[in-house]
Amino acid sequence: MKQLFKTKWNAACFVLIPACIGINYLGKLFASVLKLPLWLDSIGTCIGGILGGPVIGGICGAANNLIFGFTTGDSITLVYALTSLGIGAAAGIMARLGHMKSLPGALLTACVTGLTAVVISTPLNIIFWGGTTGNIWGDAVFAWSQASGLPVFLGSFLDEVVVDVPDKFITLLIVFAIVKGLPRKLTSLYDIDDEVVSLD
Amino acid sequence: MKSISLYVDQDTFLTRLHSFSKLFYIAAAIAIPLIGGGFHLYVLSLLLSFCLIAAGKIGKRILPLIAFSFTIILTVFLIHGLFNQKNEQILFTLGPLIFYREGLLYALKIGLNILNMLLAFAVLVLTTRPAVLVDDLEQAGFSPRFGYMICSVFQIIPQMMGTMNTILDAQRSRGMETEGNILVRARAFLPLISPVVNSSLINTRERAIALEVRGFDSKEKKTFLQDRKLRGADKRFIAFMAALLFASLIWRIRVWL
Repeated sequence: MKQLFKTKWNAACFVLIPACIGINYLGKLFASVLKLPLWLDSIGTCIGGILGGPVIGGICGAANNLIFGFTTGDSITLVYALTSLGIGAAAGIMARLGHMKSLPGALLTACVTGLTAVVISTPLNIIFWGGTTGNIWGDAVFAWSQASGLPVFLGSFLDEVVVDVPDKFITLLIVFAIVKGLPRKLTSLYDIDDEVVSLD
Repeated sequence: MKSISLYVDQDTFLTRLHSFSKLFYIAAAIAIPLIGGGFHLYVLSLLLSFCLIAAGKIGKRILPLIAFSFTIILTVFLIHGLFNQKNEQILFTLGPLIFYREGLLYALKIGLNILNMLLAFAVLVLTTRPAVLVDDLEQAGFSPRFGYMICSVFQIIPQMMGTMNTILDAQRSRGMETEGNILVRARAFLPLISPVVNSSLINTRERAIALEVRGFDSKEKKTFLQDRKLRGADKRFIAFMAALLFASLIWRIRVWL
Protein backbone atom coordinates (compact mmCIF):
# COMPACT_ATOMS: atom_id res chain seq x y z
CA MET A 1 0.00 0.00 0.00
CA LYS A 2 2.92 2.31 0.63
CA GLN A 3 3.87 2.10 -3.03
CA LEU A 4 0.41 3.26 -4.07
CA PHE A 5 0.91 6.90 -3.13
CA LYS A 6 4.68 7.04 -3.45
CA THR A 7 5.69 10.14 -5.37
CA LYS A 8 8.99 11.34 -6.73
CA TRP A 9 9.39 15.06 -6.13
CA ASN A 10 12.00 15.70 -8.80
CA ALA A 11 12.24 18.19 -11.65
CA ALA A 12 10.73 15.68 -14.08
CA CYS A 13 7.46 15.68 -12.12
CA PHE A 14 7.34 19.46 -11.90
CA VAL A 15 7.74 19.61 -15.68
CA LEU A 16 5.14 16.92 -16.27
CA ILE A 17 2.40 18.91 -14.52
CA PRO A 18 2.44 21.98 -16.83
CA ALA A 19 2.68 19.70 -19.87
CA CYS A 20 -0.40 17.82 -18.67
CA ILE A 21 -2.27 21.07 -18.08
CA GLY A 22 -1.38 22.07 -21.64
CA ILE A 23 -2.70 18.73 -22.91
CA ASN A 24 -5.99 19.29 -21.05
CA TYR A 25 -6.27 22.67 -22.71
CA LEU A 26 -5.60 21.21 -26.16
CA GLY A 27 -8.10 18.39 -25.67
CA LYS A 28 -10.78 20.91 -24.78
CA LEU A 29 -9.76 23.08 -27.73
CA PHE A 30 -9.83 20.21 -30.23
CA ALA A 31 -13.21 19.06 -28.90
CA SER A 32 -14.58 22.54 -29.53
CA VAL A 33 -12.84 22.96 -32.92
CA LEU A 34 -14.25 19.61 -34.09
CA LYS A 35 -17.58 20.44 -32.36
CA LEU A 36 -17.70 17.16 -30.44
CA PRO A 37 -20.41 16.91 -27.76
CA LEU A 38 -17.83 15.93 -25.11
CA TRP A 39 -15.44 17.85 -22.86
CA LEU A 40 -12.26 15.79 -23.30
CA ASP A 41 -10.57 18.18 -20.89
CA SER A 42 -9.02 15.60 -18.60
CA ILE A 43 -6.68 13.76 -20.98
CA GLY A 44 -3.64 15.46 -19.44
CA THR A 45 -4.84 14.91 -15.87
CA CYS A 46 -5.16 11.17 -16.55
CA ILE A 47 -1.73 11.00 -18.21
CA GLY A 48 -0.27 12.85 -15.21
CA GLY A 49 -1.90 10.39 -12.84
CA ILE A 50 -0.72 7.37 -14.80
CA LEU A 51 2.89 8.51 -15.20
CA GLY A 52 3.46 10.32 -11.89
CA GLY A 53 1.06 8.50 -9.57
CA PRO A 54 -2.10 9.57 -7.75
CA VAL A 55 -0.53 12.55 -5.97
CA ILE A 56 0.83 14.10 -9.17
CA GLY A 57 -2.46 13.30 -10.92
CA GLY A 58 -4.42 15.06 -8.21
CA ILE A 59 -2.12 18.09 -8.34
CA CYS A 60 -2.41 18.17 -12.15
CA GLY A 61 -6.19 18.23 -11.94
CA ALA A 62 -6.52 20.78 -9.17
CA ALA A 63 -3.79 23.06 -10.59
CA ASN A 64 -5.41 22.87 -14.02
CA ASN A 65 -8.72 24.27 -12.82
CA LEU A 66 -7.17 26.74 -10.38
CA ILE A 67 -4.82 28.18 -13.00
CA PHE A 68 -7.52 28.57 -15.62
CA GLY A 69 -9.93 29.95 -13.05
CA PHE A 70 -7.49 32.60 -11.86
CA THR A 71 -6.14 33.67 -15.25
CA THR A 72 -8.82 33.23 -17.87
CA GLY A 73 -11.63 34.45 -15.62
CA ASP A 74 -13.54 31.20 -15.98
CA SER A 75 -14.81 31.02 -12.42
CA ILE A 76 -17.11 28.13 -13.43
CA THR A 77 -14.04 25.93 -13.97
CA LEU A 78 -12.77 26.87 -10.53
CA VAL A 79 -15.71 25.14 -8.85
CA TYR A 80 -14.74 21.84 -10.43
CA ALA A 81 -11.14 21.82 -9.14
CA LEU A 82 -12.19 19.15 -6.64
CA THR A 83 -13.62 16.97 -9.41
CA SER A 84 -10.41 17.21 -11.41
CA LEU A 85 -8.39 16.33 -8.32
CA GLY A 86 -10.53 13.23 -7.90
CA ILE A 87 -10.14 12.23 -11.56
CA GLY A 88 -6.34 12.54 -11.46
CA ALA A 89 -6.07 10.64 -8.19
CA ALA A 90 -8.43 7.89 -9.37
CA ALA A 91 -6.54 7.42 -12.65
CA GLY A 92 -3.25 7.35 -10.71
CA ILE A 93 -4.45 4.77 -8.20
CA MET A 94 -5.84 2.50 -10.93
CA ALA A 95 -2.56 2.75 -12.88
CA ARG A 96 -0.51 1.93 -9.76
CA LEU A 97 -2.73 -1.11 -9.22
CA GLY A 98 -1.63 -2.22 -12.68
CA HIS A 99 -4.89 -1.71 -14.56
CA MET A 100 -3.56 0.47 -17.36
CA LYS A 101 -1.55 -2.31 -18.96
CA SER A 102 -4.40 -3.85 -20.95
CA LEU A 103 -7.52 -2.63 -22.74
CA PRO A 104 -10.05 -4.20 -20.29
CA GLY A 105 -8.07 -2.62 -17.45
CA ALA A 106 -8.25 0.75 -19.20
CA LEU A 107 -12.03 0.39 -19.52
CA LEU A 108 -12.28 -0.43 -15.81
CA THR A 109 -10.17 2.66 -15.06
CA ALA A 110 -12.57 4.68 -17.22
CA CYS A 111 -15.52 3.43 -15.13
CA VAL A 112 -13.79 4.29 -11.87
CA THR A 113 -12.67 7.79 -12.94
CA GLY A 114 -16.06 8.50 -14.51
CA LEU A 115 -17.92 7.52 -11.35
CA THR A 116 -15.46 9.47 -9.17
CA ALA A 117 -16.15 12.53 -11.29
CA VAL A 118 -19.91 12.01 -11.04
CA VAL A 119 -19.86 11.54 -7.26
CA ILE A 120 -17.81 14.70 -6.69
CA SER A 121 -19.53 16.87 -9.31
CA THR A 122 -23.14 16.17 -8.37
CA PRO A 123 -23.13 18.04 -5.03
CA LEU A 124 -21.18 20.90 -6.66
CA ASN A 125 -23.78 21.14 -9.44
CA ILE A 126 -26.59 21.30 -6.93
CA ILE A 127 -24.91 23.86 -4.68
CA PHE A 128 -23.80 26.21 -7.44
CA TRP A 129 -26.25 25.92 -10.31
CA GLY A 130 -29.21 24.11 -8.84
CA GLY A 131 -28.38 20.83 -10.62
CA THR A 132 -27.51 21.64 -14.25
CA THR A 133 -24.11 20.91 -15.81
CA GLY A 134 -24.02 23.22 -18.84
CA ASN A 135 -23.90 20.32 -21.31
CA ILE A 136 -26.92 20.15 -23.62
CA TRP A 137 -27.46 16.37 -23.43
CA GLY A 138 -27.02 16.19 -19.68
CA ASP A 139 -29.28 19.16 -19.08
CA ALA A 140 -31.97 17.64 -21.29
CA VAL A 141 -31.90 14.59 -18.99
CA PHE A 142 -32.08 16.88 -15.95
CA ALA A 143 -35.06 18.75 -17.42
CA TRP A 144 -36.80 15.42 -18.11
CA SER A 145 -36.12 14.13 -14.57
CA GLN A 146 -37.47 17.33 -13.01
CA ALA A 147 -40.54 17.27 -15.23
CA SER A 148 -41.28 13.70 -14.16
CA GLY A 149 -40.92 14.58 -10.49
CA LEU A 150 -37.65 12.88 -9.53
CA PRO A 151 -35.68 14.50 -6.67
CA VAL A 152 -33.11 17.15 -7.68
CA PHE A 153 -30.26 15.02 -6.36
CA LEU A 154 -31.15 12.03 -8.54
CA GLY A 155 -31.80 14.23 -11.57
CA SER A 156 -28.45 15.94 -11.25
CA PHE A 157 -26.75 12.58 -10.70
CA LEU A 158 -28.23 11.23 -13.94
CA ASP A 159 -27.31 14.48 -15.70
CA GLU A 160 -23.66 13.91 -14.70
CA VAL A 161 -23.68 10.19 -15.50
CA VAL A 162 -24.91 10.81 -19.03
CA VAL A 163 -22.13 13.31 -19.71
CA ASP A 164 -19.20 12.23 -17.55
CA VAL A 165 -19.09 8.47 -18.01
CA PRO A 166 -18.98 8.47 -21.86
CA ASP A 167 -16.54 11.38 -21.70
CA LYS A 168 -14.17 9.46 -19.42
CA PHE A 169 -14.47 6.31 -21.56
CA ILE A 170 -13.28 8.19 -24.65
CA THR A 171 -10.64 10.05 -22.61
CA LEU A 172 -9.18 6.88 -21.12
CA LEU A 173 -9.16 5.13 -24.49
CA ILE A 174 -7.18 8.02 -25.97
CA VAL A 175 -4.87 8.05 -22.95
CA PHE A 176 -4.36 4.30 -23.22
CA ALA A 177 -3.36 4.66 -26.90
CA ILE A 178 -0.98 7.51 -26.09
CA VAL A 179 0.68 5.99 -23.02
CA LYS A 180 1.26 2.71 -24.87
CA GLY A 181 3.21 4.62 -27.51
CA LEU A 182 5.47 6.57 -25.14
CA PRO A 183 9.17 5.72 -25.35
CA ARG A 184 10.75 3.80 -22.44
CA LYS A 185 13.32 6.60 -22.15
CA LEU A 186 10.54 8.88 -20.97
CA THR A 187 8.45 6.53 -18.82
CA SER A 188 11.55 5.40 -16.91
CA LEU A 189 11.84 8.95 -15.51
CA TYR A 190 8.64 8.35 -13.56
CA ASP A 191 9.24 4.72 -12.62
CA ILE A 192 9.01 4.32 -8.84
CA ASP A 193 10.72 0.94 -8.68
CA ASP A 194 14.01 2.03 -10.22
CA GLU A 195 17.29 1.56 -8.36
CA VAL A 196 20.63 3.22 -8.78
CA VAL A 197 23.25 0.56 -9.43
CA SER A 198 26.95 1.36 -9.23
CA LEU A 199 29.46 -0.56 -11.25
CA ASP A 200 32.32 -1.10 -8.83
CA MET B 1 2.59 34.06 -29.70
CA LYS B 2 -0.87 34.57 -28.26
CA SER B 3 -1.04 34.43 -24.49
CA ILE B 4 -3.91 32.64 -22.77
CA SER B 5 -3.97 35.19 -19.98
CA LEU B 6 -6.56 37.96 -20.25
CA TYR B 7 -4.32 40.56 -18.58
CA VAL B 8 -4.62 44.03 -20.11
CA ASP B 9 -1.38 45.97 -19.92
CA GLN B 10 -2.19 49.49 -18.69
CA ASP B 11 -1.49 51.71 -15.71
CA THR B 12 -4.61 52.10 -13.58
CA PHE B 13 -5.58 52.05 -9.92
CA LEU B 14 -6.39 48.35 -10.18
CA THR B 15 -3.17 47.24 -11.88
CA ARG B 16 -1.15 49.04 -9.19
CA LEU B 17 -3.10 47.33 -6.40
CA HIS B 18 -1.34 44.36 -4.78
CA SER B 19 -2.72 41.04 -6.02
CA PHE B 20 -3.58 39.99 -2.45
CA SER B 21 -5.95 42.97 -2.14
CA LYS B 22 -7.71 41.77 -5.28
CA LEU B 23 -7.84 38.18 -3.98
CA PHE B 24 -9.39 39.52 -0.79
CA TYR B 25 -11.86 41.44 -2.91
CA ILE B 26 -12.96 38.23 -4.66
CA ALA B 27 -13.46 36.46 -1.33
CA ALA B 28 -15.40 39.40 0.11
CA ALA B 29 -17.55 40.00 -3.00
CA ILE B 30 -18.61 36.36 -3.09
CA ALA B 31 -19.08 36.05 0.67
CA ILE B 32 -21.09 39.22 1.31
CA PRO B 33 -24.31 38.11 -0.48
CA LEU B 34 -23.94 34.54 0.82
CA ILE B 35 -23.57 35.70 4.43
CA GLY B 36 -26.14 38.46 4.29
CA GLY B 37 -28.70 36.65 2.15
CA GLY B 38 -31.20 38.54 0.02
CA PHE B 39 -31.14 39.98 -3.47
CA HIS B 40 -30.14 43.55 -2.64
CA LEU B 41 -26.74 42.37 -1.39
CA TYR B 42 -26.11 40.65 -4.74
CA VAL B 43 -26.95 43.94 -6.41
CA LEU B 44 -24.59 45.77 -4.05
CA SER B 45 -21.79 43.31 -4.81
CA LEU B 46 -22.40 43.58 -8.55
CA LEU B 47 -22.44 47.39 -8.38
CA LEU B 48 -19.17 47.35 -6.49
CA SER B 49 -17.58 45.13 -9.17
CA PHE B 50 -18.95 47.33 -11.93
CA CYS B 51 -17.49 50.43 -10.25
CA LEU B 52 -14.07 48.77 -9.95
CA ILE B 53 -14.24 47.54 -13.55
CA ALA B 54 -15.12 51.03 -14.75
CA ALA B 55 -12.28 52.53 -12.67
CA GLY B 56 -9.89 49.93 -14.10
CA LYS B 57 -10.94 50.74 -17.71
CA ILE B 58 -11.64 47.08 -18.50
CA GLY B 59 -15.35 47.46 -19.26
CA LYS B 60 -15.05 46.22 -22.85
CA ARG B 61 -13.09 43.13 -21.86
CA ILE B 62 -15.76 41.72 -19.56
CA LEU B 63 -18.37 41.46 -22.32
CA PRO B 64 -17.04 38.16 -23.78
CA LEU B 65 -16.89 36.71 -20.24
CA ILE B 66 -20.53 37.61 -19.61
CA ALA B 67 -21.53 36.25 -23.04
CA PHE B 68 -19.79 32.98 -22.14
CA SER B 69 -21.76 32.52 -18.94
CA PHE B 70 -24.99 33.61 -20.61
CA THR B 71 -25.83 30.16 -22.02
CA ILE B 72 -25.44 28.56 -18.59
CA ILE B 73 -27.61 31.18 -16.93
CA LEU B 74 -30.19 30.73 -19.71
CA THR B 75 -30.40 26.93 -19.18
CA VAL B 76 -30.77 27.46 -15.43
CA PHE B 77 -33.65 29.88 -16.05
CA LEU B 78 -35.35 27.57 -18.55
CA ILE B 79 -35.06 24.41 -16.48
CA HIS B 80 -36.02 25.89 -13.13
CA GLY B 81 -38.64 28.25 -14.54
CA LEU B 82 -40.38 25.35 -16.25
CA PHE B 83 -39.69 22.31 -14.10
CA ASN B 84 -38.63 23.31 -10.57
CA GLN B 85 -40.49 21.08 -8.13
CA LYS B 86 -41.55 23.91 -5.83
CA ASN B 87 -43.33 25.59 -8.77
CA GLU B 88 -46.88 26.61 -7.90
CA GLN B 89 -47.64 30.16 -8.94
CA ILE B 90 -47.79 30.77 -12.70
CA LEU B 91 -45.97 33.97 -13.66
CA PHE B 92 -46.45 34.07 -17.44
CA THR B 93 -46.90 31.74 -20.41
CA LEU B 94 -44.92 31.75 -23.64
CA GLY B 95 -46.82 29.67 -26.19
CA PRO B 96 -46.94 26.13 -24.75
CA LEU B 97 -44.33 26.95 -22.05
CA ILE B 98 -45.51 27.90 -18.59
CA PHE B 99 -43.04 29.80 -16.37
CA TYR B 100 -43.48 29.67 -12.62
CA ARG B 101 -42.59 32.29 -10.02
CA GLU B 102 -40.77 30.04 -7.53
CA GLY B 103 -38.48 28.47 -10.11
CA LEU B 104 -37.64 31.80 -11.69
CA LEU B 105 -36.79 33.36 -8.33
CA TYR B 106 -34.50 30.40 -7.58
CA ALA B 107 -32.90 30.74 -11.03
CA LEU B 108 -32.48 34.48 -10.49
CA LYS B 109 -30.51 33.80 -7.32
CA ILE B 110 -28.24 31.31 -9.10
CA GLY B 111 -27.84 33.64 -12.09
CA LEU B 112 -26.87 36.57 -9.86
CA ASN B 113 -24.42 34.35 -8.00
CA ILE B 114 -22.73 33.24 -11.25
CA LEU B 115 -22.56 36.82 -12.52
CA ASN B 116 -21.23 38.06 -9.20
CA MET B 117 -18.45 35.43 -9.14
CA LEU B 118 -17.57 36.15 -12.75
CA LEU B 119 -17.24 39.90 -12.27
CA ALA B 120 -15.31 39.58 -9.02
CA PHE B 121 -12.83 37.30 -10.78
CA ALA B 122 -12.68 39.63 -13.77
CA VAL B 123 -11.39 42.37 -11.45
CA LEU B 124 -8.37 40.19 -10.59
CA VAL B 125 -7.87 38.43 -13.89
CA LEU B 126 -7.92 41.44 -16.21
CA THR B 127 -5.62 43.57 -14.09
CA THR B 128 -2.98 41.15 -12.79
CA ARG B 129 -0.12 39.67 -14.76
CA PRO B 130 0.05 35.93 -13.91
CA ALA B 131 3.80 36.16 -13.28
CA VAL B 132 3.23 38.97 -10.76
CA LEU B 133 0.57 36.94 -8.98
CA VAL B 134 2.97 34.00 -8.70
CA ASP B 135 5.75 36.32 -7.52
CA ASP B 136 3.52 37.75 -4.80
CA LEU B 137 2.52 34.26 -3.70
CA GLU B 138 6.15 33.16 -3.54
CA GLN B 139 7.11 36.20 -1.46
CA ALA B 140 4.38 35.22 0.98
CA GLY B 141 5.95 31.78 1.35
CA PHE B 142 4.41 29.76 -1.51
CA SER B 143 6.73 27.00 -2.78
CA PRO B 144 8.91 28.31 -5.67
CA ARG B 145 8.70 24.90 -7.34
CA PHE B 146 4.94 25.21 -7.62
CA GLY B 147 5.48 28.80 -8.69
CA TYR B 148 7.63 27.59 -11.57
CA MET B 149 4.92 25.08 -12.45
CA ILE B 150 2.28 27.80 -12.77
CA CYS B 151 4.51 30.16 -14.77
CA SER B 152 5.55 27.46 -17.21
CA VAL B 153 1.93 26.65 -18.06
CA PHE B 154 1.80 30.08 -19.71
CA GLN B 155 4.87 29.32 -21.80
CA ILE B 156 3.89 25.78 -22.71
CA ILE B 157 0.35 26.41 -23.93
CA PRO B 158 1.19 28.93 -26.71
CA GLN B 159 4.03 26.62 -27.75
CA MET B 160 1.65 23.65 -27.94
CA MET B 161 -0.90 25.70 -29.86
CA GLY B 162 1.80 26.41 -32.41
CA THR B 163 2.57 22.69 -32.71
CA MET B 164 -1.12 21.94 -32.97
CA ASN B 165 -1.59 24.31 -35.91
CA THR B 166 1.39 22.78 -37.68
CA ILE B 167 -0.05 19.30 -37.19
CA LEU B 168 -3.53 20.38 -38.25
CA ASP B 169 -2.06 21.74 -41.51
CA ALA B 170 0.17 18.69 -42.02
CA GLN B 171 -2.68 16.22 -41.56
CA ARG B 172 -5.00 18.23 -43.79
CA SER B 173 -2.41 18.36 -46.53
CA ARG B 174 -2.23 14.58 -46.33
CA GLY B 175 -5.94 14.49 -47.05
CA MET B 176 -7.39 14.00 -43.58
CA GLU B 177 -10.90 15.39 -43.27
CA THR B 178 -11.59 17.56 -40.25
CA GLU B 179 -15.00 18.79 -41.30
CA GLY B 180 -18.16 16.82 -42.01
CA ASN B 181 -20.52 14.72 -39.93
CA ILE B 182 -19.81 13.78 -36.34
CA LEU B 183 -18.16 10.46 -37.21
CA VAL B 184 -15.64 12.16 -39.52
CA ARG B 185 -14.86 14.78 -36.91
CA ALA B 186 -14.54 12.20 -34.12
CA ARG B 187 -12.20 10.11 -36.27
CA ALA B 188 -10.00 13.17 -36.83
CA PHE B 189 -9.48 13.65 -33.10
CA LEU B 190 -6.88 10.96 -32.42
CA PRO B 191 -4.49 11.69 -35.35
CA LEU B 192 -4.57 15.36 -34.33
CA ILE B 193 -4.09 15.08 -30.59
CA SER B 194 -1.65 12.20 -30.29
CA PRO B 195 1.35 13.81 -32.12
CA VAL B 196 1.00 16.99 -30.03
CA VAL B 197 0.68 15.08 -26.79
CA ASN B 198 3.56 12.77 -27.61
CA SER B 199 5.91 15.56 -28.63
CA SER B 200 5.06 17.65 -25.57
CA LEU B 201 5.60 14.69 -23.25
CA ILE B 202 8.90 13.86 -24.90
CA ASN B 203 9.93 17.52 -24.57
CA THR B 204 9.41 17.33 -20.82
CA ARG B 205 12.47 15.11 -20.54
CA GLU B 206 14.74 17.75 -22.03
CA ARG B 207 13.08 20.46 -19.98
CA ALA B 208 13.66 18.44 -16.80
CA ILE B 209 17.35 18.00 -17.60
CA ALA B 210 17.69 21.72 -18.41
CA LEU B 211 16.10 22.60 -15.06
CA GLU B 212 18.24 20.22 -13.06
CA VAL B 213 21.39 21.63 -14.65
CA ARG B 214 20.29 25.10 -13.48
CA GLY B 215 19.82 23.98 -9.88
CA PHE B 216 16.05 23.47 -9.73
CA ASP B 217 16.35 21.04 -6.84
CA SER B 218 18.57 23.38 -4.83
CA LYS B 219 17.32 24.09 -1.31
CA GLU B 220 18.87 27.61 -1.10
CA LYS B 221 16.46 30.41 -0.21
CA LYS B 222 15.44 32.35 -3.32
CA THR B 223 15.67 36.14 -3.60
CA PHE B 224 13.39 38.41 -5.61
CA LEU B 225 13.96 41.05 -8.25
CA GLN B 226 11.12 43.21 -6.96
CA ASP B 227 10.11 43.53 -3.35
CA ARG B 228 6.35 43.92 -3.34
CA LYS B 229 4.62 44.82 -0.11
CA LEU B 230 1.10 45.92 0.80
CA ARG B 231 1.05 49.72 0.53
CA GLY B 232 -1.27 52.36 1.99
CA ALA B 233 -3.82 52.09 -0.83
CA ASP B 234 -3.90 48.31 -0.41
CA LYS B 235 -4.48 48.54 3.32
CA ARG B 236 -7.28 51.07 2.89
CA PHE B 237 -8.91 48.87 0.22
CA ILE B 238 -8.73 45.73 2.38
CA ALA B 239 -10.05 47.63 5.41
CA PHE B 240 -13.00 48.89 3.34
CA MET B 241 -13.88 45.38 2.12
CA ALA B 242 -13.47 43.94 5.62
CA ALA B 243 -15.86 46.60 6.94
CA LEU B 244 -18.46 45.63 4.31
CA LEU B 245 -18.00 41.97 5.19
CA PHE B 246 -18.50 42.75 8.88
CA ALA B 247 -21.59 44.83 8.09
CA SER B 248 -23.14 41.94 6.17
CA LEU B 249 -22.46 39.65 9.12
CA ILE B 250 -24.18 42.06 11.50
CA TRP B 251 -27.06 42.32 9.03
CA ARG B 252 -27.50 38.55 9.12
CA ILE B 253 -27.37 38.38 12.91
CA ARG B 254 -29.92 41.20 13.14
CA VAL B 255 -32.29 39.31 10.82
CA TRP B 256 -31.95 36.22 13.01
CA LEU B 257 -32.74 38.15 16.20
